[in-house]
Order: sequence, then structure tokens, then C-alpha cells
Amino acid sequence: MLAPEISVPIERESDIVAARQKGRELCADMGFPSTDRTLVATAISEVARNIVSYAGRGELVLSGIEDSGRRGVLVIARDQGPGIADPELALRDGYSTGKSLGMGLPGARRLMDEFELRSLLGAGTTVTMKKWLR
Amino acid sequence: MAVPILKQGDILIASIQAELSDRELADLRDDLAQRVGRLRARGVVIDVTELDVLDSFATRTIRGIAYTAQLRGAKTVVVGIKPEVAFAMVQLGLALDGIATALDLEEGLELLRVGGDRVGSRD
Amino acid sequence: MADLASQVQLQALMADMGLTEQNVQRRRQIVALGADDLKRITAIKDLVVSGVSEYTNAFFEHLAGLEEARPLLSNRPVLERARKLKSEHLVAMMQGDYGTAYVLQRADLGLLYSKAGLDLRVFLGAFHHLLRTIGLAVVSHFRDAPAEGFQHFMSLKKVAFFDIGVIVDVIVFEKQRTIGQQQDAIRELSTPVLQIRDRLLLLPIIGIIDTQRARLITESLLHSIRNNRAKVVVMDITGVATIDSRVANHLIQTVTAARLMGASVIVTGLSADVAQSLVALGIDLTKLNTVGDLQGGIEEAEQLLGYRVIRRGDPDGAAQPARG
Repeated sequence: MLAPEISVPIERESDIVAARQKGRELCADMGFPSTDRTLVATAISEVARNIVSYAGRGELVLSGIEDSGRRGVLVIARDQGPGIADPELALRDGYSTGKSLGMGLPGARRLMDEFELRSLLGAGTTVTMKKWLR
Repeated sequence: MAVPILKQGDILIASIQAELSDRELADLRDDLAQRVGRLRARGVVIDVTELDVLDSFATRTIRGIAYTAQLRGAKTVVVGIKPEVAFAMVQLGLALDGIATALDLEEGLELLRVGGDRVGSRD
Repeated sequence: MADLASQVQLQALMADMGLTEQNVQRRRQIVALGADDLKRITAIKDLVVSGVSEYTNAFFEHLAGLEEARPLLSNRPVLERARKLKSEHLVAMMQGDYGTAYVLQRADLGLLYSKAGLDLRVFLGAFHHLLRTIGLAVVSHFRDAPAEGFQHFMSLKKVAFFDIGVIVDVIVFEKQRTIGQQQDAIRELSTPVLQIRDRLLLLPIIGIIDTQRARLITESLLHSIRNNRAKVVVMDITGVATIDSRVANHLIQTVTAARLMGASVIVTGLSADVAQSLVALGIDLTKLNTVGDLQGGIEEAEQLLGYRVIRRGDPDGAAQPARG
């Protein structure tokens, strides 16, 4: 019933656009309205960009998901990069003061319904995000 | 040249037709900077009607373009931001403070023609 | 059996409600339906199956006596379908297979009851009557071994409660769905964006602003800006219930988004008191163009758009006297 997951390698910044497109297509397939498709594509852009900027390479895994009768999309962005020393700080909302660390993570979190960041210094980063059909 | 840049009087119009890579955005910024100086343009219109996503990098680049244009005496107007894109941008905390915006190309040109700030703007 | 369209609807309902293999198994566990129960049910199978029409009648006769069951009983085709399903149910109840197919059959009846608007209490009352009738037959059959009879009946009751669980869940689920749809409709109606002049929109916001409503308002406004090519929006917040920092941030986001589309927003109805407390909370209101009252806001908007309002009977077209 749900399409198989799509893996998008992120190695150069042109892959960011590809990841966005795939994300957008998946959302359309799952029946998301236009606004949500843009939100997901934008969140994907931010985390994919982080991979390119900070880790050099990684991958994005996109899939449709189902839970207790509701459907949604799952986006996992992982890399084996340097990791984030202080994940809490990276998620701190610098939006109102304009002083964010520039990693776009707090923003991506606001765009999605569920958001999880796991990172270990020297051992890479995994961002897991979900958006549900309302 | 990924982005066609038209000249209308002393105004440059850059119509972004498709999702641009980071490199292409950077090239656009440099290209516009050059042309504004060379052609003594007094206005730059960046048309993003075709874009489905304006992320932090794109926004930073646009700000860069506006800043550079201003240094060379030109005012920048961003036009054509879609409702969904505007929504995503504010969720992301991105704003184009200090940069004029208009609904579409027509409005953008009108804004530059009138010469003042956008109606009711407080910038 | 149900036709194709209703089959599809049923499957969708099962999916929406999460009535999976796992869920059904859990339901059996909850009523503690075990191997011994199955044995006992099989033992009285013929007893119940042979009296199916009698028991079905018992159910519907009980309904006939209740005013609240009128909607179901007065609809001939629906009633006939209900009777048919009920008979099939009773037979299936005794077969010992209580998996997803069995649950689907019950969901079918639940959906029918829901559409017919059958009151839950009424359903339970009739169901109880039905069980009682069966119970009397079981007791009679086991008159020489009443304790055993009781045990057999109790095993059957486990399945009965399993059935009730499914049917009630379906009726409640459908009810929630309707309420959800009504709420959506109310929300849509409560975020009107009005075009009061060419290029000028009025957005009166009334009531409680939570994150979801703020989002709806913003989306609605942005689409209206595009469709009406609006350059100015007067956003009146006089009717907003409470304006705390969260609400203020939502409003600022709305204003910022509108601005990105080239429209300026004039906020009216922000009292000095509220403004002061927001500033004290650290909210930056300088980005907002605020005007005290709605009337003043509309006038300013008109001026910005280049309108000049002249009252008829003013021979020299003089500007209107300043309002206090």
C-alpha cells in the first residue's frame, strides 16, 4: 500500500534540489495539500544543506508512513560527519534575535510535526522528521 | 547564464525560472552586482514566481543581492513569493527585512517607478 | 453481502480506525476469549442457530417499542438490510472464528446504525434484550445442570461484548468524524477575509487564536492577497479573546508573511494596555503598523491606496472633519 522508501544520496549541493523534488513528489502521492508539500520540501532543503555544509556527504531517506489510522511522511537525514557538540544549542531558537547558529534546525523543526535530533561528536548526525496528514 | 536578466530602462529584471542550485544563485548575485554597476541601474527586480521553495540559503543570497545593489545605488524588489512559500519562510523564521516586496512583476516595477517605499511600509 | 462501493468504504473505515489483525487480537484478549470459551460456544451452536429468526425478531421488536429507534425502523430498505445483517451476525457468532473478517461484518452493521442515526443507548438496550432471550434458551437447555448452563452462556457473552466493543467504537468514531467536519466548517467560516475596496482587504479576527487557527488565518489571508491582488490589509484584533505573547507572535508571523507578498498590514484594535504588556514581555511591536480603532485603520488604508472619501453635500469637497 505504501510506496517503498526512497534514498537520496547527498554529496553535493545540487543533490539538495533533487531531495526537495523527491520529497515534494512523495507528499503529493500521500495526498498532502500544497502548503504542507512546501513546508516539507523546505525542511528537507534545510537538513540536506546541513549535510553538505557540515558533513560533506550523507543521505536522505524518504518514506510514507502509517500509524493508528493516520498517514504521513518520514524524512531521515543522516551523515557520518563531525557531529554536533551541543545538539541542544543547535536547536535553540535564535529566530527572534536573528542569532541562530545558522544551521536551520530550529526552523526545520517548526515546519514539521515531529522532530528528533541525534548527534555525537565525531560520530555523525541523524535528523528524523515526520509530517502527518491532517 | 541560468537566469535571464532583462533590462527595462534603468531597471534590471532577473526571472528565476526553476529551482536554482547554490552555485547558480551565487552566480546570479555576482552577475547582478556587476551589471548594476556597469549599467548604472537604479532598480533590481528579482522574480521568484516559479520557485516552490525559498530556504535559508536562497534568502541569504537574495539579501546579499539587495545589499550589493544598494551599495551601488540600486533598490531591490522581490516579487512573486507564493502563499505557501511565504508561509514556509515565516515558519522558518526567514524575513526579507529592509527589502521591498511586491505581488508580481507589474507591481514591482510600479513600486520602483513611484520611487518611494512600498505603500505603508515602515522600513 | 455489501456492494463494491460500500465494501471500499468499509475497508477504509477499518483502516482509519486501525482495526488491524493486531487490534482484533487485542480485543479478543481484552474480553479474555480463550479455548474453553470456544469449546462451549461450539457446544451450544445448534441451539442458537436454530433460533436465529426468533432472536433477530426479539432484537427488532424491542427497538419497535422505542421512540428513539424510529429513524432506523421507518426506513424500509435500511431496516431490511439491518435484519439480514443481524441474522448473519448471530450465525457467525457461533462459528468460533473471530478474526478481521468477523470484525468487518460487525463494522458493517455499526456503520449502518451510525448512518441511520441509531442511538447508542437504544442499541445497547435491544442487544441486551436479545442476549436475554438467548440466555433463557440456554438456561432451559441446561435445566439439569444450571451451573454449566451459566458457564456456557458466559462464554457466549464474551463474544457478545466483543461485538458490542466493535459496534460502539464504529458509532463513536463516525460521530467524532462528523464533529470534526463541523469544526472544520466553523473554522473556515470564522476566518473571513473581506475585500472592502479594490486592493484592500479586511481581516476581522474574533475569538481564540491557537496555533492551528493562526495557521488557517494566515493561509487564508495569503491566498486572498494573491486572488484579490491586495496591497493593504486591515487586520482587526478587537475581538481576539486573549492576546498573550504566543498570540502576538502568531499575529506578527501573519503580518510578516503578508509583507513577503507585497501587502502591508495595518493592525487595529490593539489596546494601549495590551500593547504595553506585550512590550514588557519582550515582543517587538515596532514591526507592526498599528492604529487604534478599526475605522481609523480603514481610513489610513484608504489614504495609503490613494483614495479620498468625499461626502456628498460637501460642495467644495472639503476633507471630512477630523474624528476625535
